[in-house]
Amino acid sequence: MSDQLYNVAIIGRGPAGLQAAIHSGSKKAKVIVFGKPRNSGLYKARVANFCCSEDVITGKEMLEAGRKQAESFGAVFLEEDIIEAKSENNRFILVTESGGAFTFETLILAMGVARKKLQVKGEKEFVGRGVSYCVDCDATFFKGMDVAVVGNESAAAAGALALLLYARTVYLVCRKPMISDLLHERLKRSEVRILQDTWVKEIVGANEVEGLMLTNDESLKVSGVFIELGAKGAMELAANLGVVFDAETFSFIETNKKQETNIPGLYAAGDITGQPWQIAKAVGEGCTAGIEAAEYARKLADSERSRG
Amino acid sequence: MGQGVLDVDDSSFESEILKADKPVLVDFWAPWCGPCKAIAPVMNQLEETYGDSIIFARCNVDHSPNTPTKYSIRAIPTIILFQDGKVVDQVVGAVPKSHLEELLKKIL
Repeated sequence: MSDQLYNVAIIGRGPAGLQAAIHSGSKKAKVIVFGKPRNSGLYKARVANFCCSEDVITGKEMLEAGRKQAESFGAVFLEEDIIEAKSENNRFILVTESGGAFTFETLILAMGVARKKLQVKGEKEFVGRGVSYCVDCDATFFKGMDVAVVGNESAAAAGALALLLYARTVYLVCRKPMISDLLHERLKRSEVRILQDTWVKEIVGANEVEGLMLTNDESLKVSGVFIELGAKGAMELAANLGVVFDAETFSFIETNKKQETNIPGLYAAGDITGQPWQIAKAVGEGCTAGIEAAEYARKLADSERSRG
Repeated sequence: MGQGVLDVDDSSFESEILKADKPVLVDFWAPWCGPCKAIAPVMNQLEETYGDSIIFARCNVDHSPNTPTKYSIRAIPTIILFQDGKVVDQVVGAVPKSHLEELLKKIL
């Protein structure tokens, strides 16, 4: 392995990410796992159909046990979401919600699938007419306008801060911010107007978005609403790296049997590669991805060393 | 197989798209947009299949501010199907290939 602080990055700490961390760690790679346990689909689940675990533990306990196990193999855990992923000179660079940047030889995407739709009246009707799911893509169309960002987590908070460069007024509509302390501090010091303990009831307008009705019965006049629920997912992070999605639904990342994506050094495992959404599949793919990624990092370091 | 996906901008939009003798599918995109990158290979694949009867084009909104405004584009990727200078239909966001093929069936 190289002298880098870490070789293998894993985004997502559900069963796929944890199993990948265990196997990469056991291959002596230096592993760091990003993400928050509550964002795993397993967190609130009761495990019923996973081999050899009948009625033994809850999903939450399983995630905690997996973390301890992975730590015993040397993996390091950072409870932060990733808000940006890019690649440069055979390395992956990840930026955390608190603003830290890390460089890796290889990256395993295991952040699962999350609900990204708000499911309120007006949302579907106004997609592309003021409703957006991508601050990075669409901020430029709202120069000088008033906009709202909806969400409680890192994608919404980081999105609201990014929009300050374009929009006149930026509102953050959230029940409660669930973000790192550093990001929370940045948000509070910024000009983002935080509307807390409320949520969107309806998106209103004639031909395009004109405002929001909130659950506290207040209304908000905005021309744009950015729906940024949870942490950034596959489309937000991985599409930028150039990964190929499945042709049928365009929601999942295509991998081969080694869990390789079309990008060298980039692996995907678990729900993010498609159904069935089961622990058994996630840990199987995580195991393969972990072993393959550690091997990739070792070979990359060896070839760079031999070239001097 | 046609000519590949054609790059158009504010100055060429009228001649290449609105006055084209065939229907045109235009992908409005930008280099900073992840979902746009995801859909680019799909446009290439469709062009290989349908390039004889339909023109496939893409417009970088970063370089062409006027055309997106004219078509009220507020999100990318937005993909618009034109025929005889008029909008037949449009889709917003990175959608599967089959979804775009459905769109093309409206004029094939």
